[in-house]
Amino acid sequence: MAKMTIREAISRTIREEMERDPNLIILGEDIVGGHGTAGGPEAIGGIWGMTSGLYSAFGAKRVIDTPISESCIVGAAAGAALAGKRAIAELMFADFVGVCLDQIYNQIAKFRYMFGGRSTCPVTLRIAYGAGLNCAAQHSQAVYSLLTSIPGLKVVMPTTPADAKGLLTTAIRGDDPVMFFEHKMLYGETGEVPDGEYLVPFGHARLVREGGDATVVTCGAMVGAAAATADQLAADGIACDVLDLRTTSPLDEEAILDSVEATGRLIVVDESPPRCSLATDIAALVANKAFSSLKAPIELVTAPHSPVPFARELERAYLPSPATIGSAVRKALAYR
Amino acid sequence: MSTLRAFTMPKWGIEMTEGTISEWSINQGDWVSQGQMIALIESDKIVNEVQAEFETRFVRLIAVAGESYPVGALLAVMAGDEVTAAEVDSFITAFRPAGAAAEAVAQAAGAAHAVASSPHMLELPRDIDISPQARRRALDLSIDVRAVTGSGRRGRITLQDIELASRPAYAVGGGAPVSITPTTAALDVFYASPGAKRLAVVHHVDLAKVRATGPRGRISRADVAREAGVPLRGAAVEVIRMSPMRKAIARQLTLAKSTIPHYYLRRQVQLDALQELRAGLKQRNGAAPGLNDYLLRATALALCEVPDVNIQVHGDEIHRFPDANISVAVATDRGLITPVLRAAQRKPVEMLAAELRPLIERARAGRLRADEVEGGSFTVSNLGMFGVEQFDAIINPPQGAILAIGAARRRPDEREDGVGFGSFSWLSVSCDHRAIDGAVGGRFLAALCELIESPQRL
Repeated sequence: MAKMTIREAISRTIREEMERDPNLIILGEDIVGGHGTAGGPEAIGGIWGMTSGLYSAFGAKRVIDTPISESCIVGAAAGAALAGKRAIAELMFADFVGVCLDQIYNQIAKFRYMFGGRSTCPVTLRIAYGAGLNCAAQHSQAVYSLLTSIPGLKVVMPTTPADAKGLLTTAIRGDDPVMFFEHKMLYGETGEVPDGEYLVPFGHARLVREGGDATVVTCGAMVGAAAATADQLAADGIACDVLDLRTTSPLDEEAILDSVEATGRLIVVDESPPRCSLATDIAALVANKAFSSLKAPIELVTAPHSPVPFARELERAYLPSPATIGSAVRKALAYR
Repeated sequence: MSTLRAFTMPKWGIEMTEGTISEWSINQGDWVSQGQMIALIESDKIVNEVQAEFETRFVRLIAVAGESYPVGALLAVMAGDEVTAAEVDSFITAFRPAGAAAEAVAQAAGAAHAVASSPHMLELPRDIDISPQARRRALDLSIDVRAVTGSGRRGRITLQDIELASRPAYAVGGGAPVSITPTTAALDVFYASPGAKRLAVVHHVDLAKVRATGPRGRISRADVAREAGVPLRGAAVEVIRMSPMRKAIARQLTLAKSTIPHYYLRRQVQLDALQELRAGLKQRNGAAPGLNDYLLRATALALCEVPDVNIQVHGDEIHRFPDANISVAVATDRGLITPVLRAAQRKPVEMLAAELRPLIERARAGRLRADEVEGGSFTVSNLGMFGVEQFDAIINPPQGAILAIGAARRRPDEREDGVGFGSFSWLSVSCDHRAIDGAVGGRFLAALCELIESPQRL
């Protein structure tokens, strides 16, 4: 075990997997970053700093700087994957999914199905997402709800350095396209990471806190807020289950239903806006399959149906917080 | 306007305060002829068909099937000729329940959380944004809607808000800090669901030995439960809501068992003479009344011999009855019901049998009238047909005593000339000690046994 940040865990995992599999390539905007500059090709190493050193270790054929075109990045990764490579592609901001949605939605999500299983598309699309860095409406969105709705994609959101390593390894070695969402606010999160080979299977939620009064289901950066809320409530004698979904597709229905059957109260915390979202999806699941276990209406704590604001104060108000999650838990518990 | 008439919740028997519409037999807008069935209405005691008293048209059905309403509450509006919807609406708004309903509304008001004491709450303020269902419910429960915070769109008051306002507050959290650290952290190396890990901790199951059948090859709760040999929590529990009759039984018997000082007198009675008598009758006539009919007859006569057991207890008063009005416990699909055989001491056993059979049939069909289940002075319960040999019954208030009869069994019996076999049944009398002392109860049981053992007197 070694203590490190999520940024380091991802960076090391990419390097280890590239060492392990000579067939694995990585591509994206500025992942090498310094071509033609005074500092040499590796002067920058990606704006999130996770790809530095790869170029000198693995060379220009496996570490590829692309033009500023997300369609090109995802399309090239998809083509390479169909031709027998494995690809890690990086989108600098999740919002740019909008630019390359055809490649994601109509191409990589459909290949395996449309080719009758005779071809696979092992692409891991690393996507930096989320609000909190004051990046405004076009660089802050939580796009995972949108991509979770697409059949043929797996959607993954690590919240700890260990999960970052375990889930990324599973994503790279798997034969299907994976949308690997990295929250910008979580890159500095530190924690113990197991040494050596470590895989976390998809569709297995993690129990972050354990208590019988209410179930808080969440993912990504909201896991930290939900855990902090649960700790505050525990001081008042209110014990919450907090589930980190880890992957929203596949979804760990069993873990959600097990917990709700025990507590009878569900609070879903979701960073994306509330319509046709992860929150509504889970609410529907529970209303459908655990209706008789519910003791109170399901509470949804989500961003408002609004673009992410730029002003710091508004951005804070936009995101679910321990205050809003806590009042939702209390509201569910107060229901009689 | 003047042709509109109210169809209200009927009052059957003195104790009825509310009734439930089990089902409507008609649809809104239907013409009904005199004598046509309109609805099935269930009170605490019985389910009855309600028939039309005159030819009319049901222009509006207000009551919802399955819901209960106080006596006198408006269930539907009838009209003999064409009326407009607006006329019906204003009739409903202007309708005021009389007597019992007003009382029931006042009672509900006393129990509710945010309620107004003033009777004019029957009309809600018009300027409040409230859904139609919520408005109706608020009127039913006499909730002061001005004290309710609406959770609907733009602060509109919903049915849920009214329901919430009618219930007492619910305590949240114990106040003392609790631990919410997962106890299953050590099991994270296994591919098992959080629920499965918790179950494994509780039942000390080694997850390494569990065969995984869950989604994506994972160990599920069912797998751990199988390994531990325990049933899954909450597996296949069916939740059944109590019917009004079930609730009434629960209320009555809880009251009886918790407030009446019961004592029990038990003794065996020999049935050989009675069975011989019945066998003889059968030979002669081809048929004979049942054993139970004879036991009811004997009970009636014994009650007349010891009238201090033939009573009802009302507060500080004991009401002693000149006639043996015997309530007979009948098991039905809906629950226990006790139709009454009136003045049973005056009726020969054949007549008792003839009277009892249709009563039981109607009880099973849910067709008893209120007056057929009221006014009993003593109850007989016989579980012999289920092989029960001996049991003590709970007194059926306001009565003072109840007889429990077990199954007849042959057993050896010491006699003057040695040991023979006889047929015996256990009798148990439960008495209310407030009104019936042990000696009185004992005298009754002795008289009863003597009658059964000398059946020529029956």
